[in-house]
Amino acid sequence: MYRKQVRRRRAVLLLLVAASLTLLSLYYREGNAGPLHGAENVVSTIFSPISSVTDRALKPVRDTVNWFHETFDARGDKARLQDTVASLRNQLAREQTQQAEVKELSALNELTSGGIVPDGTTPVTARVVGRSPTVWYSTVTIDKGSGDGVRVDDPVVAAQGLAGKITQTTSNTAQVTLITDADSAVTARVQPSGATGVVEPNVGNPNDLQLDFLERGAQIAQGQMVLTAGFSTGDLGSIFPPGIPIGKITHATVEEQQAYQRVHLSPFVDLRDMDFVKVLTTHSGGGSK
Amino acid sequence: MILTQGIIARLVALCAFAAIAQVVCFSKMDVFGSSPDVALLVVFSIGVLGGSLTGAVVGFSMGLLIDCLLLETLGGFALTLLSVGYVAGRYRETVGRPTRGAVALLGGALTLLGALVIAAIQIGTGIDANVSILVLRDAVIKSLIGAALAIPVLLLVRLVVRSALVDERRGARRATAPRPVEP
Repeated sequence: MYRKQVRRRRAVLLLLVAASLTLLSLYYREGNAGPLHGAENVVSTIFSPISSVTDRALKPVRDTVNWFHETFDARGDKARLQDTVASLRNQLAREQTQQAEVKELSALNELTSGGIVPDGTTPVTARVVGRSPTVWYSTVTIDKGSGDGVRVDDPVVAAQGLAGKITQTTSNTAQVTLITDADSAVTARVQPSGATGVVEPNVGNPNDLQLDFLERGAQIAQGQMVLTAGFSTGDLGSIFPPGIPIGKITHATVEEQQAYQRVHLSPFVDLRDMDFVKVLTTHSGGGSK
Repeated sequence: MILTQGIIARLVALCAFAAIAQVVCFSKMDVFGSSPDVALLVVFSIGVLGGSLTGAVVGFSMGLLIDCLLLETLGGFALTLLSVGYVAGRYRETVGRPTRGAVALLGGALTLLGALVIAAIQIGTGIDANVSILVLRDAVIKSLIGAALAIPVLLLVRLVVRSALVDERRGARRATAPRPVEP
């Protein structure tokens, strides 16, 4: 009897591991239109309204926890705030959330109305509803999809600058691969020097990006701003329009520039704390914007 | 764990809620630069309460759901949570019911195991960027949070599946059994 149980347990385990590995392998091999991607899209579409409602319902919980974290950081204010904190905590969290959302949306509107959106592009505002639990996948899920005109490779901006690009869509959700993801690479230009390079991530450290493949002899100093280059060579062009702020140079030594043609920058966008983004759609058709 | 239809329905609801809450809420929390992995702790708890087979099946299913919700590579989280559920269940089957201290330690250790499995999958499937040493810090903080949350999550999961637990039934029987009359 015991042997039978052990055999059954091992068989199920082997079956599940084999299923996982087969799924991983097939998923990598098939294209975006493959059956596994299709099945995943169906499940994501079904759960999308539930996720959206749960996201809003659990936001006060999340904000309360984050509020504790922010309070921990602001230890200097702790004593002054201690008396009022207990009674006002929930109310404060709610009001701060609303204020932050309004502020974020205003900044987002300011950014996209500031001339960085090319002609023929329609910005679609979306709420960030999901995030990967691991630092290895730097992706977020938004509540707008192909039904809203969002397509794969559309650039995504947050209130302070470039956030990433769309890598997968369902009818009502989309996956945004952030500029801190291992698969991300953005052509960029340093202002005012004009030097160009490719912004790549430093996986696991969302506050550090690398500007690689810089021209030798480029004059780059700490504090200079990095913007998308948006190059175009014949049929080949960057998917990001030029002039979107990416970050600020934080570390630029002559040695590293000479040896590796590389400097470090920190992104303007706090990619771990985004509630709203704008997708710069360039395609006609789709539903409401 | 005695798996009746009612308990399976409860497990399905619990797993769906845990997966959605992980993606929309817990992953967005900032706790010392990382975020709690509550879905993993739910799988760990089910493994500890229900054994390796239940743990592995629940872990695989919840992982697949998370993969779908995030539109990530299918099978990645499934393999991670499957390992966690299986190891937690095997601990229960070989060592026995864990003490509170062991639950916290196991919770932390299995959170670390989850981080390692995900890292192995990511590295195994190819990575074209530099990897910061901070991924180690993230894994350590995650496992400390996992250790801190393991007991409350286990208690909550136990509450949901209580009627299916053999230990609880024995305890209840012992409590209600008539005491022998003293001579």
